[in-house]
Amino acid sequence: MKIGRREFLSFVIGGAAGTALSPLPWKLMDDSSIWTQMWPWTPVPENGEASYVNSVCTLCPGRCGITVRKIDDRAVKIEGMKKYPVNDGGLCLLGLSGLQLLYGPTRIKGPLKRSGKRGQGDWERISWKEAISEIVEKLGELREKGRPQSVGAISGSDRGTVPRLLERLLTAYGSPNFFRMASVRDSYELTLDIMQGVQALPGFDFENADFILSFGSDILEGWGSPVQMMRVNSAWKSAGVKVIQIEPRLSNTAAKSDKWIPINPGTEAALAMGLAHVIIKELLYDNGFISADTSRFDDWKQLVIDEYSPDSVAAVTGIDAGTIVVLARRFANASKPMAICGRGDGTHPVSLTECMAVHALNALTGNINKKGGIFAVSDPDYIHWPEIEMDSTAAVGMQHDRLDGAGSRKYPHSRYLLNRLPESILSKALYPLEALFIADANPLYTLTDTQDTGKAFEKIPLVVSFSSFMDETARHADLILPNHVYLERYEDVPMPFGMLQQAVGLARPVVEPQLDTRHVGDVIIETAKGLGGSVATSFPWKTYYLCLKETLGEKWQAMVVNGFWSGSKSIDQALKTSFDTASGKFEFVDPNTGLKPQFKPVQIKGDERQFPLLLMPYDSIRLAHGYIGDPPFMVKTVEDIVLKHNDVFVEVNPKTARAAGLNDGQRALLGTPLGTAKVRVRLFEGIMPGIVALPRGLGHTAYDDYLAGKGINVNTLIGPVEDPDSGMNAAWGIRAKLSKI
Amino acid sequence: MKNNLNHRFGMVIDLDKCTGCGSCMVACMAENNVPFRKDESDKLLSITWMRVFRLNNGKPFPETDICYLPRPCMQCAGLHEGHSPCVSVCPATATDYGMETGIVSQIYTRCFGCRYCMASCPYHSRYFNWWDPIWPDGMEKYLSPNVSPRMRGVVEKCSFCYHRYQLAKDKAFMDGGRELKENEYQTACTQACPANAITFGDLNNPDHAVHRMVKPDLEHGGRPQNPHAFRLLERLGTNPKVYYLSSRKWIRHAGDNYLKNEAKMKKPVHHG
Amino acid sequence: MDSALIPKGVKRCPLWQFLLFIGAVGIVLLWGVYAMLLCWFKGLNQTNMNDYYGFALWIWADLAVIAVGGGAFFTGLLRYIFGKDELKNIINYAVLIGFICYSSALLILAIDIGQPLRGWFIFWHANVHSMLTEVAFCLSCYFGVLTIEYLPLVLENRQIDKVPFFHHLGHNMHEIMAVFAATGAFLSFFHQGSLGGVAGVLFGRPFAYREGVFIWPWTFFLFTWSAAACGPCFTILVTKITEKVTRKKLVKDNAIELLAKISGWMILTYIIAKTVDTWYWATVTAPSKGFTLMEFYSNNALYGIWILVAEILICGYIPAFILITKKGRKNPLGVWIAIILAVIGVCLNRWVMVLQVMAVPVMTFDHWALYYPSWQEVATTILPVAYGVILIAISYRYLPVFPNEAEMNPIEPLPEEAAAIEPSMAPEQELTPAEA
Repeated sequence: MKIGRREFLSFVIGGAAGTALSPLPWKLMDDSSIWTQMWPWTPVPENGEASYVNSVCTLCPGRCGITVRKIDDRAVKIEGMKKYPVNDGGLCLLGLSGLQLLYGPTRIKGPLKRSGKRGQGDWERISWKEAISEIVEKLGELREKGRPQSVGAISGSDRGTVPRLLERLLTAYGSPNFFRMASVRDSYELTLDIMQGVQALPGFDFENADFILSFGSDILEGWGSPVQMMRVNSAWKSAGVKVIQIEPRLSNTAAKSDKWIPINPGTEAALAMGLAHVIIKELLYDNGFISADTSRFDDWKQLVIDEYSPDSVAAVTGIDAGTIVVLARRFANASKPMAICGRGDGTHPVSLTECMAVHALNALTGNINKKGGIFAVSDPDYIHWPEIEMDSTAAVGMQHDRLDGAGSRKYPHSRYLLNRLPESILSKALYPLEALFIADANPLYTLTDTQDTGKAFEKIPLVVSFSSFMDETARHADLILPNHVYLERYEDVPMPFGMLQQAVGLARPVVEPQLDTRHVGDVIIETAKGLGGSVATSFPWKTYYLCLKETLGEKWQAMVVNGFWSGSKSIDQALKTSFDTASGKFEFVDPNTGLKPQFKPVQIKGDERQFPLLLMPYDSIRLAHGYIGDPPFMVKTVEDIVLKHNDVFVEVNPKTARAAGLNDGQRALLGTPLGTAKVRVRLFEGIMPGIVALPRGLGHTAYDDYLAGKGINVNTLIGPVEDPDSGMNAAWGIRAKLSKI
Repeated sequence: MKNNLNHRFGMVIDLDKCTGCGSCMVACMAENNVPFRKDESDKLLSITWMRVFRLNNGKPFPETDICYLPRPCMQCAGLHEGHSPCVSVCPATATDYGMETGIVSQIYTRCFGCRYCMASCPYHSRYFNWWDPIWPDGMEKYLSPNVSPRMRGVVEKCSFCYHRYQLAKDKAFMDGGRELKENEYQTACTQACPANAITFGDLNNPDHAVHRMVKPDLEHGGRPQNPHAFRLLERLGTNPKVYYLSSRKWIRHAGDNYLKNEAKMKKPVHHG
Repeated sequence: MDSALIPKGVKRCPLWQFLLFIGAVGIVLLWGVYAMLLCWFKGLNQTNMNDYYGFALWIWADLAVIAVGGGAFFTGLLRYIFGKDELKNIINYAVLIGFICYSSALLILAIDIGQPLRGWFIFWHANVHSMLTEVAFCLSCYFGVLTIEYLPLVLENRQIDKVPFFHHLGHNMHEIMAVFAATGAFLSFFHQGSLGGVAGVLFGRPFAYREGVFIWPWTFFLFTWSAAACGPCFTILVTKITEKVTRKKLVKDNAIELLAKISGWMILTYIIAKTVDTWYWATVTAPSKGFTLMEFYSNNALYGIWILVAEILICGYIPAFILITKKGRKNPLGVWIAIILAVIGVCLNRWVMVLQVMAVPVMTFDHWALYYPSWQEVATTILPVAYGVILIAISYRYLPVFPNEAEMNPIEPLPEEAAAIEPSMAPEQELTPAEA
């Protein structure tokens, strides 16, 4: 058949009309829309049976109870555990993001051995057997050579069975070099040791206090246990408790407080002394307590009267004398006033004299070891293990001074001075550190002066990380023996810093281990067994689980059922607690050294002419800056005035910016004696002129693309400043300059 | 206005207590399978059903003050029940007003992404899926089956955790069809808030805390009778179900627009 | 080569020149198509739109082309319903321009929505309370009407017309064109209006919100009115540009003048209504929500008060006064200025009612949001322009778009070409007018 133009046209038009009238286009239209409603690349979560598991979150020192919702064997949501002593149902954003860590891409999938250069990121997967024998071999070798002291361990905490096992391993092996990450806890422990003669943690009876004087403690930014503190703060709001916040920058805590008093940075102790001056002069102190329960008050009083008049304190702090007088009266006249210290979220210590000066205010009002005051809380005493068997090698090793100088003649009261370790390694003053174990810590990111820390780590021949995540420290390790993530493991979790209650929570596996990881407790026990001899016999447990169960004894059952075991609240036995100093009284002056609460300016680094400004790190609860970095959800909450794309903003007062010729949003170069970094400027009226504030928690080089490369790590710009009285790092900032690019 | 809803679920956020920590935002993201991307610093592209705004009183140092204000979907009722700004404009009935609960729903599979609802919402509570949601390998394990992940090209927003209401209702039904108790249906943000700043419940129920806290005048568009309570943009007639409490005048003032001669106070500014 | 397709009695450029032109514009078109495919396959992340700018360049382009496309329905209304016979010479072109504008609008909408494959939900799950539903229904229907109005012109192509069926079809369609014109005008009234309603009903956005009658805010009527007023100006503008490009007179002055005059009066009445509306909104509506006029026009240079002055005074009153005076209409430069200003004015109005609505913060602690389009958005917005140019070029070449063209541009055959001219193509023979 010949097809002419007409036929062809008829065919095409007829065909088109026919198709249009058929169900085909309608069916296709419908199908295509149904397809868009179930695109194969958009996940559809599987349904299943819902269940809940109680555990404890150990992502930060806050230690909240959590209830994890599960669907079959998947954990789908973390919620706060109701009735848990710390958080009673609430949970912070880090805890809520925990599943992103559990199932996240930064997890280390199994034991790794470095195959390229350090920090290069080339790894070889090895078996657990190989990994442990690798350690055992190295440790055995060092021990044979008689240098057990050259092995060290850094732990995020020293409480609970896991850190204690690590410490025990070192002791049995023969090394005194167990280090804990520093925090304001160190300042408080030392203060309580000197002034009250006790080895204890402070416990704050916030529930019953009626006037809070915070010397820069950002109780809403993570100081203490974050959720607990926020709940306390809300209770204060309801009860009308006044909170006075003293710090140079309008933090969230300052904004929520009843009064924010800006102060020249680093002069908090001067203000505390000035307040003491007014209180003493106007006889507003608790005379009963001072005369009956304190010692050497007059020694100190003289210093206070002579040197800390409101006018002289005003000159130092920048707070006018009238305000100081009024504040002192309000503090002293409150029925349960409480003064607390520890800048920001308290991840860094303050100088010993500063902590003592603030604590002395509590003594002046007699608000110690009583309702609404500060208590000395001892750790719940539940870990009773057999004596460590020390062979001669261990005994000799333990004779050595610690590398960080803690407990030495210079710093007799200090227990851990990790900040001094890098310098000690680099100066080679004592002996070399030949192997270092790191658990629940990321020192290469969190220690100030990252460069020096890195250099010191380079000198250590063997760095072993137990991290579950590829953090900065793990990246620079030689061996990674990944621990289970907290949601996969058992662990006893004592109450956090600041709590009154003596209780221990139980972290337990919510899900099966997702990867080829191993509990660090088990790795310690296996290593000890591998080393043999007295080291092995010091570890009589087969597994960590058995060790934990045996340690907890009859508490175990209660913990399994309730999620925690609770002893008494210290408050109940408070009145019986006496001071354990030589005098049996509260000491205003250290009888051994003559150290008094006073203002000793911390000599921060930098020349004032070259660096006219002051750089202060600030803490935000939305930026985790400890061992754990921000999971993606948390990064998402970071405001665009803090981080925009990869640029971090520094906060400066408009006056300061104007002087430097900088506008809002402009790029600038931030320089300190340690280095320079590119930042952007944000004008903020809530900060004192002359100060540059930079958030902690950014500038990660490790972790995933959701976190790495964003902003700068403030620790690269700030170095430690040793407190001459304690050896702790008392740096609150560094001198800086801001210039146009 | 007639108040003919069975329930009128609403929220009271105490701004004196809110610390701006952002836990509500994360609780919401975790509960509702909200996706995330490598760069979330452009907040105009960042899906946050619950967003915490930062308010500033605009005064110079040291009189500066800031305040955080969490903003979920306001679940507006409009001038007559169901006349929410967004519900009235959606061309495909993909967002609807629940006459039993007062909650504004969003049907992701019906939405075709015209974004008219976003243009209509003065609170910016609505978010568009500009990208396909992608979870890093393995992370989709934590996705909850109770909330379906949204596909690219549709609008999403806070639902007052409606699935929790359904689960609670199912449970109550199984227990013999009893009424829901106040604590049985709570949103994820309310539950997580470390500061206990968020209270959730039925505004129609005089026994519920939310009712007692703001004393809504249900005859007059739910206006709060507590002098410390306010709603955002009350004057637009959106009739929101989210109330805020603040003891600070400048913050209450920041909740709405006023002409200069109406108030002496300076308007707050964004971002200091 | 394609001379058999070219209408009788008119001269067209050589084919190679034509193809070169089509090719050049085609490249722009392909660029737009590429951008369009990117948007469809990769999603709207290809644009610079965001959660504050859910409506942006495209929606503006959409509203603008519909507004300027309003020339079709209004000219049709005048021609068929009010019997303005002079307009028969421009009606074909008006319809063609309208067809291009409306098909472009639909295409833009298909790119703009996040789920194009579900676009039909607007009909299937229609929410009758939504202005957008009304827009969708009327827009689609009116596009159908425009197609029906355009079809007879296509059928008049010399070769198609030879087919008796098509010849008769075309003839019969002309017979009933008045019905379609009336339908088109009715539909246009509603969709132009509901496009205005899209902004006007936004009671959460005090910048856009207007009071009104029954369910219709004032913007509903203002949009219809302004489209009717400024649409013919666009028709005239495109006609004049076509005349410039082809270097021929294509439409008689009386048609243009009449249209310009009517348009002028429409613009004047519109702009008075707009002024009253703006006044009421600035002094009553906005203040009742706590806003003063200047709060909408501050913060940045882009959305300064100049935009209101430009829209109402410069692009409203000036063209109106030029076009309503005989002197103004007779002055070619005056007409050029007036139609250009009028077209800019209506486009500016649509810009403001879309983009500025998105920019103005409502919550006191919110901020102004500014936006610039991505290249993909620009390309997809230019795509309809290129498509329009091509469709006009093809239509002009092969269809008797301008019934008076041959009469006004008699071909003077060169000696050697004269022989080539077919006997039937005698220059004195008038082209069959489209409606014959």
